[in-house]
Amino acid sequence: MITNCKRLLLTLFTGIILCVPVVTFISCKNDPSIPERQGAFFISATGETTQYILRTDNPESGVMSIADNVKTLELSGYTWIFNSNPSVAVGLIYQQGDPGIGLGYVLNDDGSLYEAGQFLITSRFTSYGFFDRYALTSVGGQTPVDAQGNALTDTAGNARADGVTFNFIDLNNGFTLQEKTITTLNITGNGEQATFSGIVDIGDGEFLTSLVVSKPKDPNAGGGSSSGTITYPDSVWVAAFDASLNLKRLYRDDRISYSSGRFRSQYYAQMAKVDNGDVYVFSGSYESATTRPAGALRIKRGATTFDASYYFNIEEKTEGYRFRKVWHIAGDCFLLELYNDIVPTATGVATQYGVVDVAGKTFKWVTGIPAKDKITATGLPTVADGKIYFPIAAEASDPAIYIIDPATASATKGLSIAGATSINAIGKLTH
Amino acid sequence: MHVLLCASMTSIAQNIYGTVTDCANHQTLAGVFVRIAGTHTGTSSGNDGKYAITGLKADIYTVEFSCIGMKSVRKEVRVEGSQDSQLNICMEATQEKLDEVSVEAKSPVQRLRESSYNVIAVDTRALQNTSLNLSHALDRVSGVKIRETGGVGSSSHISLNGFSGRHVKLFMDGMPMESFGTSFRLNNIPVHLAERIEVYKGVVPIELGGDALGGAINIITGQSRRTSVDASFSYGSFNTYKANIDVIYSARNGFFVRLNAYQNYSDNSYKVKTRLLTFHADGSSNYSREDYWFRRFHDNYHNEAVVVNTGVAKKKWADRLQFKFTYSREKQDIQHANLMKIVYGGRERRAQSIIPALSYEKRNLFVPNLNLRLSANYSLARNNNIDTLARQYNWQGEYRTKSFKGEGQYTMGEYDNRSMSVSAGINYRLNERHLFAFNNLYSSFNRRATDAVANSETTTAATFMRRTNAKNVLGLSYRFEPSKIWNASAFIKRYDVTVRGPINISTNTTTVVYEEQQRSFGTNGYGIAATVHPSAAWQLKTSFEKAYRLPSETELFGDESLETGDAGLRPENSLNLNVNISYEHTFAKVHTIVCDAGLIYRDTRDYIRRQIEQRYGGAFYTNHGQVRNYGVDIEARYFYKKMFSLGGNVTYQDIRNMERYSATGRELIYYRDRMPNVPYLFGNADANLQINDCFRRGNVLSFGYNMRYVHSFFRDWASEGGDIIIPKQLSHDLNILYSLRNGRYNIAVEALNITNEILYDNYSLQKPGRSFMVKLRYFFRNRDIQPN
Repeated sequence: MITNCKRLLLTLFTGIILCVPVVTFISCKNDPSIPERQGAFFISATGETTQYILRTDNPESGVMSIADNVKTLELSGYTWIFNSNPSVAVGLIYQQGDPGIGLGYVLNDDGSLYEAGQFLITSRFTSYGFFDRYALTSVGGQTPVDAQGNALTDTAGNARADGVTFNFIDLNNGFTLQEKTITTLNITGNGEQATFSGIVDIGDGEFLTSLVVSKPKDPNAGGGSSSGTITYPDSVWVAAFDASLNLKRLYRDDRISYSSGRFRSQYYAQMAKVDNGDVYVFSGSYESATTRPAGALRIKRGATTFDASYYFNIEEKTEGYRFRKVWHIAGDCFLLELYNDIVPTATGVATQYGVVDVAGKTFKWVTGIPAKDKITATGLPTVADGKIYFPIAAEASDPAIYIIDPATASATKGLSIAGATSINAIGKLTH
Repeated sequence: MHVLLCASMTSIAQNIYGTVTDCANHQTLAGVFVRIAGTHTGTSSGNDGKYAITGLKADIYTVEFSCIGMKSVRKEVRVEGSQDSQLNICMEATQEKLDEVSVEAKSPVQRLRESSYNVIAVDTRALQNTSLNLSHALDRVSGVKIRETGGVGSSSHISLNGFSGRHVKLFMDGMPMESFGTSFRLNNIPVHLAERIEVYKGVVPIELGGDALGGAINIITGQSRRTSVDASFSYGSFNTYKANIDVIYSARNGFFVRLNAYQNYSDNSYKVKTRLLTFHADGSSNYSREDYWFRRFHDNYHNEAVVVNTGVAKKKWADRLQFKFTYSREKQDIQHANLMKIVYGGRERRAQSIIPALSYEKRNLFVPNLNLRLSANYSLARNNNIDTLARQYNWQGEYRTKSFKGEGQYTMGEYDNRSMSVSAGINYRLNERHLFAFNNLYSSFNRRATDAVANSETTTAATFMRRTNAKNVLGLSYRFEPSKIWNASAFIKRYDVTVRGPINISTNTTTVVYEEQQRSFGTNGYGIAATVHPSAAWQLKTSFEKAYRLPSETELFGDESLETGDAGLRPENSLNLNVNISYEHTFAKVHTIVCDAGLIYRDTRDYIRRQIEQRYGGAFYTNHGQVRNYGVDIEARYFYKKMFSLGGNVTYQDIRNMERYSATGRELIYYRDRMPNVPYLFGNADANLQINDCFRRGNVLSFGYNMRYVHSFFRDWASEGGDIIIPKQLSHDLNILYSLRNGRYNIAVEALNITNEILYDNYSLQKPGRSFMVKLRYFFRNRDIQPN
C-alpha cells in the first residue's frame, strides 16, 4: 500500500505539473513541448476466444506474439479504458445475465503491470468514462426499486424500466465499486424517459452525459436497446450531474439529433472535451426519422446552454456518410468511425475512419489503414504524444496497431500481434 | 435391435423343469440363468439348483443355461401335449469371464460386447446399492468423461472421445432424450431407472436415429418381466438424501405394470475456496486479495420423478404393447455464476416435464422373421428462471440492497419446449446369413418463451414467436453372418431437417420487422462394421462411419435480431474409425483376465462457428475448422473366482486442431495444438472383494474401491501462452456393502473423495470434498419370469 500511495502522490504531482494551463493549440498539431512521463503500453488482445494482457514499451513497430502475454483473463470480452491521472487501466465486463468481474491495473515502479483490484459489476453498461476520481459507467432500461427492494410500477401496475444505473469505481481506493440508480421518467419534462450516452468530466464536480429521450419502452418490443419510440428525433439533450447524481442542468438544441452511436444494445459516446474545457457534442444521425444531418455542436466551458454560434455540418463534408463512434485525439481533432453505407444498413457496418477538425470544420479520410471491406475488427484507440494508436484487425493478416497522424490523417502500421484474432484496446500507463 | 426368433405357438401351456449342478463336484448351482434361446423367456435356478420355465406351448426348444464363471450349456428339449419336460444338466467352469458383476451370463451386455460396433455396455444393476446417478455410472467408462459443475443436481457435460454437447446424442430406449427437459436427464436420474447403458463410440447403428457426429448413448430402462419390489433410502453428508421405489407386477396373462418413483435432495452445503466480496461502510464493495474457505449456503437441489409403465405382452397381435408416462420436476438454487466468486443468494431455477410414450412390438409380422417396433412420445418441458431480488450477496451470506431488480438479470422467465418423436423399426432375417433392417426417426421440436419481466437486453419480439425444428433420420442396414467366426454390417442414413422461425427482414437500422421463414436441409451418411472371432479368447472388430451433424435452427437463422443465418451452411461431418481387439481367458479355472484395447481415429471438419466481423456488421455462421483425434482406450480386468476383481481403464486422446488458417485467412498460432479445455488423459481403477456366505449362508459382505484420475489440461490453446489450467484430479472412493438373504436386504456405506481433494472438472467450479452416504435397500423378486 505504501508504494501505491507513493505512486499516487507522484502521479498527482506530475498531474498538477501537466495541468498547468497550456498554450493554445493550433488545429490538430500537437505541442511537442510537453514531456511524456515514463510508461509502458498496456495491450489487451484476444486469441481464438480468450482475452490476454500484453505489455510493450514500443507500439510503433515490430511483432509480438499473443504468447508473450503477461496475463490470461478469466473472462473474455473486457472493455478497457485508461485514465491518465491516476494512471490506471480499468477493465469492464458484464456477462449476459450474470455480473462480471471488473479489473484495475497499474504500472509498478519496476515497469511491470500489476492487478491492483477486482470488483463486481452487477449492472450492464452502455457508456463509460472517467469523472473525478472515478471510472463511471451507466446503463438505461433498469427496473428501479424502493428501499425495500420492490419494483417501482407505472400507472398500469407494470414494473418500470426507466432506471439508469451508474457504477462509481473508485480509482484511489482499491477499485471499490458503488452502484447508484436514478429514475429518468419525465426528466426532460415531456413525460418521456432517457438512456444516457457518454460521460465527460467538466470539472467542478460535475459531468455531462447526453440523453437519448424516448417513450417508455414497450416490454414486448425488444430489439436489444433500452429506448422506446423516439418522439423527438430532431432534438439533442445533454444533462449535467454532480457526484450524487443530482441533475444540475439540461441543455437542449434542435440543430442536431441525439448524440449517441447506437448499435444493438450499445450507446456509444459521441461527446468529448477538448483541452480548453469546451465540450463538443456530435450526432451521427443514427435515427431513421431525423431530418438533421450528422454534425456537431459546442458547449463552451462553464456555459449553461449550447453555443448558438457554433454548428458544424459534418455530413456535408463526408460525402453523406454518417458516423457511429467519436474519439478525441488532440487539440481540436476527433477520430470518427463512419458507416460504410450512406443509409446505414440493419447490421450497421462501420469500418471507415476520418479525422475532423472542429475548429477549422474540416474532414479528412484516414489513409494507410486496411480497406473497409477487409477490416474484421477494431479496438479502442488511445492517444499518446498527440498521435492516435488504433488497433485494427484485417483479413489474412495479424492484427496491428495503426498510428494515425491527426494533421495529415495518414496512418502507418505499427506493432502487430501474431496469433491474435483482434486487439481490443491499447493504452499508456505511467508510474 | 436384435432379431428374436419366436417359437411357433400351439394352445396348451407346459413347463420345463430340472436341476442344475456343477459337473466338477455335483453340488447344486444357484442363480444360473435359464432361458429359451433367442427369447426373453427364462428364469434362474434357486438355492437348491432347481428351476422351472412355465407357460410353454408344445414345440422343440433350445434351453440355454448360463452363469458367471461357468461355461454356458445349450440343450434341446421337446415339450409335448400334456407333459412337463424334465431337463437336468451340469455345468463346467468357464473359459469366458464376464464384465464386472454381471448377473445374467449371456446378458444383453455380453451380446453387445460381442457385436461389431465399438460399444460399451454398463450393467447398472451392479451399481444398484450405490447412490450414483447415470452420469456417474458413465464416468467410469473408458473414453467417457463427465464434467460436473458442483454437487447433487449440478449440470454435467459428457465428453465422449473428446466430443461433447450436441455432438453426442442421448437416447432412452432408442428415443432421443434431448427434449425431455432438464428435470429428467443423466445428472439427476438414479442408476435404478436403467437396466444398462450403451455407449456407442463414433459409429452408431441405425436403430439410434440421430445426427450423432461423435457417438451416442442409449439408456435401456428394461422391461418388466418379474413381479418385484425394490425400495431404497440413502442419507449422507451435506444433508443429502435419496429415496427410490420400483414396483413391478407381472401377471400370467401378459399384463404388466411398473411404477418407479424417486427423489433426490441435497443442501450441497460443502465448502469451497474463493475470494470474498467485501462490503464497505460507504456502500461500495471490492474483492479480497486472498482466497478463503466458505460453506455453500444457497445450493439446495431436489428433484422428483414418477415413471409408470403398463401394457400387455405376448398377445397374438402384439409381443409387447406398452404405455409409459413420466413426470419429473426439479428445483435448484443457483449459488454462483460461471466463476465461483460471483455469488448469488436468491436466484433459482425450476423445471418440469411430462412425457407420455407408447411403444408396440410385433415379431413375425405377416411372415416369419419380419419384426416391427413402433415408438412414439411427446414431451412438454417447462423451465423457469427466477432472479428477482434487488440484492447483492457475498460468500459470508451477507447482502446489500441494490438499486435495481435482479442479482444477475431481473427475470421470471418461462420457456416451454414441446417435442414429439416417432420411430419405426423393421427388420427381416432372410435366413441365418442375411439380416436387413430399416429404421426411421422423426422428431419435431418447438420452443416458446414467456417472460413477464425479462430485461429488454435479451428479449425481442421474436423471442415470443414460434420456432420449430423438424428432423427426420432414416437408416437402412444389411448384416451378413456367413459363420460364427465373422460377420459384417453396412448401413446408410439419410438426414433431413426443416426449421421455421422468425427472421429480421428490416433494412433499416432503427426498426425490426420479423417474418416467419422456413428452411430445409438434407444429407446422407454411411458406415460399415465387422468383427472376427479367430478363437474363443480373441475378438477383433472394426467399424467406420461418415457421420454428420445438421445445422441447428439458430445456425440456419441467426439469432433473429441482427445476426444473419446462412442457408449455404454445410453439416459438420466426421470420419470416424474404430479398431478394437479383445482377449478373454481363464487360467487354472480360477484366474480370469479380460482385456480390451480400442484405437480410435476421428477426422472432423466443417465445424459450424459463430463469427463476428466488423466489416459484415453482426455475427454470422460459417463452416470452418478441422480437428483430428487419434485415441486409445485400454481396459483390463482380473478376476479370482467370484471373490476378487481388480480392473481399470485408461484413455489417451490426441485431439488436435488441423486448421492452419482462420476463417479470415490469418495464420493460426494454435495449428496442431491440442484442443483446449478437453480432458485428454484419464482413467479409472477399481477393486472389489466379495465374501460369500459371510456370517450366514446367503449373506454377502463386499468391499469396493474406486479411483478416478484426470490429467491436468489447459483451458485455452497452449500456444497462446495462457496460464490457466484445470489441475490434475485424483480421487478415491470406498464402499462397504452387506447383503443379507441373497440380496433381499442391503446396507451400504460409501465414502467419496476420502482424501478430501480439491476437485475441479471445470475452471473455477469446485466440486464437493469428502462425503459419506449410507444406503438401505430392500429388494424382492419373484422367481418366476412371466412369459412376456
